[in-house]
Amino acid sequence: MVRYLITRLGQALVVVVLVTVIAFLILHLLPGGAARATLGKEATLEQLAAFNHDMGYDRPWIQQYGMYVQRLLQGDLGYSYQLNQSVVEAISQRLPKTMVLSLLSTVLAIVLAIPLGVIQAVRRNRWPDYAITSLSLLAYATPIFFMGLMLIILFSQVWPILPPEAPQGFTVAEVLADPAGLVLPTITLAIVTIAVYSRYVRSAMVDNLNENYVRTARSKGLSERRVVLRHTLRNGLFPVIALLGMYLPALFSGALVVESLFNFPGMGQLFWQAALKRDFPILLGVTVIISIATVVGALVADLLYAAVDPRVRLQRSAS
Amino acid sequence: MSESTGRHTPAAGGVQPLLELRDLDTDIALRRGTVHALDGVSLQVMPGETLGVVGESGSGKTMTALSIMGLLPPGGRVSGGQILFEGRDLRSLPADEVRRIRGVRMGMVFQDPLTSLNPTMRIGAQVGEPLRVHERVGRAEARERTIEILRRVGMPRPERIVDNYPHELSGGMRQRVAIAMALVCSPRLLIADEPTTALDVTTQRQILELIDDLREEFGMAVVLVTHDLGVIAGRADRVAVMYAGRVVETAATTELFRSPRHRYTEALMEALPESAIRESGEHARLYSIPGLPPDLSRPLTGCRFAPRCRHATDDCRTTEVTLSAGGHQHACLHPVPAGPAAPVNLPAPVRVEAVPDPARPAAGPGEPAAGPVLSVRDLVKNYTAHGRGLLRRTAGQVSAVAGVSFDVGPGETFGLVGESGCGKSTVGRLAVGLEQPTAGQIMLDGTDIAGLAGRERRRMHRQVQLMFQDSYAAMNPRMRVDAILAEPLDIQKVGGTAERRARIATLLDQVGLSRRVLERYPHEFSGGQLQRIGLARSLALQPRLIVGDEPVSALDVSIQAQVLNLMRDLQRELGLAYVFISHDLSVVDYMADRIGVMYLGKLVEVGPARDVVRAARHPYTQALIDAVPTVTPNAAAARDGMTIRGELPSALNPPTGCRFRTRCPLAQDICETEPPLAGDAHQVACHFPLRPESTAASAPAGATA
Repeated sequence: MVRYLITRLGQALVVVVLVTVIAFLILHLLPGGAARATLGKEATLEQLAAFNHDMGYDRPWIQQYGMYVQRLLQGDLGYSYQLNQSVVEAISQRLPKTMVLSLLSTVLAIVLAIPLGVIQAVRRNRWPDYAITSLSLLAYATPIFFMGLMLIILFSQVWPILPPEAPQGFTVAEVLADPAGLVLPTITLAIVTIAVYSRYVRSAMVDNLNENYVRTARSKGLSERRVVLRHTLRNGLFPVIALLGMYLPALFSGALVVESLFNFPGMGQLFWQAALKRDFPILLGVTVIISIATVVGALVADLLYAAVDPRVRLQRSAS
Repeated sequence: MSESTGRHTPAAGGVQPLLELRDLDTDIALRRGTVHALDGVSLQVMPGETLGVVGESGSGKTMTALSIMGLLPPGGRVSGGQILFEGRDLRSLPADEVRRIRGVRMGMVFQDPLTSLNPTMRIGAQVGEPLRVHERVGRAEARERTIEILRRVGMPRPERIVDNYPHELSGGMRQRVAIAMALVCSPRLLIADEPTTALDVTTQRQILELIDDLREEFGMAVVLVTHDLGVIAGRADRVAVMYAGRVVETAATTELFRSPRHRYTEALMEALPESAIRESGEHARLYSIPGLPPDLSRPLTGCRFAPRCRHATDDCRTTEVTLSAGGHQHACLHPVPAGPAAPVNLPAPVRVEAVPDPARPAAGPGEPAAGPVLSVRDLVKNYTAHGRGLLRRTAGQVSAVAGVSFDVGPGETFGLVGESGCGKSTVGRLAVGLEQPTAGQIMLDGTDIAGLAGRERRRMHRQVQLMFQDSYAAMNPRMRVDAILAEPLDIQKVGGTAERRARIATLLDQVGLSRRVLERYPHEFSGGQLQRIGLARSLALQPRLIVGDEPVSALDVSIQAQVLNLMRDLQRELGLAYVFISHDLSVVDYMADRIGVMYLGKLVEVGPARDVVRAARHPYTQALIDAVPTVTPNAAAARDGMTIRGELPSALNPPTGCRFRTRCPLAQDICETEPPLAGDAHQVACHFPLRPESTAASAPAGATA
């Protein structure tokens, strides 16, 4: 077990290092550069050169990367001159709020997707299945910003029961104090996730319901309800657990759009604005954080999988 | 729909039947139409008796079982007739009531123990579930009763097993769990659908005996559904033979096997390899039933076996035939005459006297004393075992093949038998060069194939070809048959287009298929046809040796006979040598000139087929032979010699010395040293061989009893 964890953490480290290298290279090979972006159009060539020298941007990139990693290991993600605050500070202000949004939408998605998928599997190729499938495909095919706009028009213009803007609070507590404002962003973010998860649950449940062990369970005279809930559901949820870990990056890219749309001061909005203003330290910092979150998410999903599936569990304890 | 009037013979002695099917019709709606799986099936099961239901695939035997249990697949429904259980028609009772009856009064055991248990539920929870649901028993009491029932099905350490998961048990143990699950509420009726088909013969014997014992102990009735006439012969009180969705004959077991009346039953018994051996004592041609069973989605008139029947007349095709009256019922217009002149009333194979056969010398026809085609010396194959799942760390060496040596002469058939995991398939794969041996030599015509590379290696591959158990899985589903047959020629760059076309035409003639098959795809063929195509592909390069890995194991008896006959005909015509790998001793006995018996990676016995089967020298071989069910009723009772218990040891850490010693009734201390394969023509690797070699071939068979 310990050995397994060490191996997986090693793999995770490699992935994170690769991500930083790639992100670093892409950002630093972009034309224009940080100096122009920071000092503005009026800056003279001398000013630009001085800025680049001060920041170390005139050194070979490998050296720059070395410096970057050195600072990274000390917990220093750099300084954003445009926001006039350190990257760590900027991110730590916004990350919790994005996590609130992601968590709420994920919980909503799971709570709705599992029953939907189960209903589809049990009523396979009958009207409930067809109806849910059609809606899922529609939701999956609709761009997330369009979905958000439609919801805003529907629920704050046509039928004004919800605010069109997300809570603007500075802390998590302030954000949570305005639950009405969270409704539309959460739903927007959850809809696509529901569509994806319910498809997975449906196909896993359909596969499991065709298994021989289900026939055995029925031969014991169990009610259909017990067959589905006690025997099939657990086995049908394994793929969803794996999906949870893999779905983190998609969730963030969704948050990017949703936060901009609803003007929610989270990580997605931070990234979006930094990209417009070529605020490299912020872009790099957010990318690193997301890559770490992704790798950790996948690891947690695997461990969770091992915890719930006895077949995987045994392999570990046996060796 | 059902033309038979359904006569319901009152039960003898006024005892009510426990289960009675009256004119049962079952339909299965598929996308391409409706299959009438059962058409007017009438059966009776008396309390405490075992009814055997036997038939080939598609005969409706499993559908009968599933109809009774209300477990038909999606689209399936019982469309007519009655299912009377303890006097009440299950079709007219409310669903809740039927479910309760199914859970408490009936139990069912399925074919594949590996997939029939929920992989993520503990054994105890699964077995005890009916108690909790139907008897509302508390957790502690359910656990106690679960342990008790597990003990009664012969499960070692049941108090620990209850907390295990199914994957931690072997196939035989899982089947015991399935039986325990079916019996936990003490049902009146147990339906066992091919309960031992997925198991090895020695395990099969244990499970069948267990079901027999439990039937007496619980006083319940058993419906034993199987394709294997041998399984039925040893166990059932009465037998119902099914064909194409109908019961064609039913009788007491001894009566049925002594004098079958329906022409289908007769043909089925003649198609068994063991019948052919018994009939003429030697390798006679098998009787094979021509053609295929009818398509049950089309309307059918007359006797459904008529198109394949030797004795059919015009009447048979137009008249509906109903079951005759009496104890021995049959639905045949031209039945086999009843009487003592019965076709299968012959002595058991064990008692046939071994006579040397001058017609089949060890060397092939017309090739005096040529060197062996295939020569295997001290073959070893180890696999590195990885833990599955998340951790793929090395868990050790699996010793799949441990020092195997044998020769195959030109035109000879060498049979390789053994139970699953004994390494027989690995030997086959090594022989054709699909895998590299860890150590040892494989010589083709005296050339060591290990030293070959490039063009020579390719040439070598022409000489030896492989034939698979599942030909469908071994063919690219997107390739037409012409492409499948041309591929070996393409790879080996044989001839031009015209020449290849001619070659393919010859191949089709050889395996008895029409030219029209060339434009079709693998999924359009039946199992027997696919084996013919597979055989044609193996023959494309005119090899000298074909390694057949369970080539007929997936086929029904009547189709199996067709393929076996074809293989023998081709051997005679082309002078082919076969390595015939199978778990089925009677098939190998029929096909092989010499037999090698494998156990856990080692050859324990090698010798002429007749000697090995009729005068086995190794205790394992004898146990294997004794475990094979035969169609001779009472033969099982006559055997008491060698019974092995327990489970096959892991090949990860095989026993030292003789690998069989952990299960051998004769084992002594000396067995911890490895016995060499010793002897002349009939070799055995055993410190305590059952008989000396010299007497084996010549002694009268009576000495074996």
